Amino acid sequence: MTATIKPQKAIQAVLKNAHVQFLVFGGLLLLLPVIAESGIMKMSTLETLGFVLIYSIVSIGMNLLLGYSGLVSLGTAGFMGLGAYLAAYTVENLSLSFWVAVFAAMVIPTAIGLAVGAISLRLRNIYLAIATLCISEILMKTFEQLDWFTGGTAGKQSQYPTIFGDKLDRGGVFVVIVVVLVLIMMLTHNIVNGQMGRALHAMRSSEVAAQAMGVNLVKYKLVAFALATAYAGLGGGLYLFFLKSSYPSTWSLMLSLNVIAMVVVGGLRSIFGTVAGAVIIWGVPELVLKKLPVIGSISGLPYIFSGILIIVVIMFFPRGLKGLFDIIVDRIRRLSKKKVSAVPGKSADTTEPTEPEVQP
Amino acid sequence: MENTRKEALRIEKLSIQFGGLKALDDLSFTVYENEIFGLIGPNGAGKTTVFNCITQFYKPDAGHVFFNASDARQRGHLKRRDLPADGEMVDLVGKPVHRIIRYGLVRTFQNVEVIPELSLIDNVLIGAHVDFNSTMFEQALRLPRARREEKKHRAQAVKAMEFLGIADIKDQLAGGQPYGILKKIEMTRTLMCEPRLIILDEPAAGLNNTETEELAKIIHMIRENYHCTILLVEHDMRLVMEVCDRICAISFGKFLATGTPAEIQKDKSVQEAYLGEQEDE
Repeated sequence: MTATIKPQKAIQAVLKNAHVQFLVFGGLLLLLPVIAESGIMKMSTLETLGFVLIYSIVSIGMNLLLGYSGLVSLGTAGFMGLGAYLAAYTVENLSLSFWVAVFAAMVIPTAIGLAVGAISLRLRNIYLAIATLCISEILMKTFEQLDWFTGGTAGKQSQYPTIFGDKLDRGGVFVVIVVVLVLIMMLTHNIVNGQMGRALHAMRSSEVAAQAMGVNLVKYKLVAFALATAYAGLGGGLYLFFLKSSYPSTWSLMLSLNVIAMVVVGGLRSIFGTVAGAVIIWGVPELVLKKLPVIGSISGLPYIFSGILIIVVIMFFPRGLKGLFDIIVDRIRRLSKKKVSAVPGKSADTTEPTEPEVQP
Repeated sequence: MENTRKEALRIEKLSIQFGGLKALDDLSFTVYENEIFGLIGPNGAGKTTVFNCITQFYKPDAGHVFFNASDARQRGHLKRRDLPADGEMVDLVGKPVHRIIRYGLVRTFQNVEVIPELSLIDNVLIGAHVDFNSTMFEQALRLPRARREEKKHRAQAVKAMEFLGIADIKDQLAGGQPYGILKKIEMTRTLMCEPRLIILDEPAAGLNNTETEELAKIIHMIRENYHCTILLVEHDMRLVMEVCDRICAISFGKFLATGTPAEIQKDKSVQEAYLGEQEDE
């Protein structure tokens, strides 16, 4: 209509770009350490949020597996723990840099994951889950026994990393986590919206049809598994640097299940949904539930909470928080459409047909 | 005349057994290039089994599936060691299922296999899977080659969808689309790899009369515009008689007759196979 609308539309178009959304999201997260420094937010809250972001990274990997490829793994915790110990060992025992540590935390679990996957990915559904669970349990037992590497049940201690000659503090590590998360979100978005993502979709939907279209099932299952493992290892490495310690008991089945819960509650095949899932499954119990009177003192409360949530989501919102969000947005759009059409003298159809943008 | 025509697909003495049941018994037939060839037979004759043996979903016990892949080099979808020698027919038996499309042979399914969570155009783009040369890293980082390929194939997909008249709904989700549209999506998907031979498994199943008539036109159009051979299994006799140049009839996995639609209609053994079945019912 008039020239004044155009810049608005341009801004809208830019904001619809997934990469811009990820960057804006990251930018907002970077404000959190500043807020915490100023004393408005407690430092412990920042710590919990840091873990939420680390679990987001790991869950996005799980979403590639569970959401896109339709594969289930219960081995996330084992690989995440392996990443954490490898990072600690690289920095503490080998005195190598942060970068080497993060690289080792990603690459070595991925290599082991690939070897395991080459055998276990021939299994389907529940059998694959059982096989990966076994691997995770073996890793956890190894963490308990292998004193020279993990410090045994007493745990492995480390310190905040030094990057570019700067010794970081908690806020600094938080910034690193945010940067890594945003990078992971962008890379994952690119992967799932390209040829490889379509191949994963095809594989989940129908293995037969996927093969007929030329998708090599073994290759793509391995790639999805390797990516999920790499994200888990990376998350483990960041965990170590954020908490400065790692104990075998952390890397239990409960953690693997929590990661799955984050994906399911947040929304299969949605990147922002996965982050929202991590906020709900990890953040809400830590920040809200544990502080409630009476209920807060029940042990195992987070598990009860996530258990109930999974049941509710699967029964009523199969597409998770992302699905719920879409429904609400749709309702609001329709309401505003009605209002516009109710105004006399204006054409009813000023709202454009909603373009099904590629949702991040 | 047939002697001068190039073979597209030659089935030789194909046999497969499930338990004690001989699903295919010494079956042979030949499809020539640029032909629309129909495979018919009563229920349980083994038509879909033939398709599954050609595309290697089943590994036949005996026999050969020779496929003319003389343009395999130009297609560039195969690794050098998998390339057939020039002018030679490739025996597809024993090849991995996911490699078949790389020779230029693509199929549809009896129950449409479309991904409901993806948009229609993304579903079509899956057909271009083997056309991508960019690596995962190039795609993850959106490097120039990955972007160029994505753009090129997206444009190609739009063109193919325009061809079948579904380009205007390309961004809609596949989930909840009418059956006729999903069938068209499957057909469009086969066109993405510029196929030499398209195998259609009961394309008219579940379509109404108007849609079936449209389908016949589409099949002809595909042959004219994409210069490929089409092999189809079909129950709908009207469609088969209307679109096919030649037909092969089988019964209980055995070869009955081959010829033009008119010849097949007159053939005694074919009539018996169909009428005999009706008497049993």
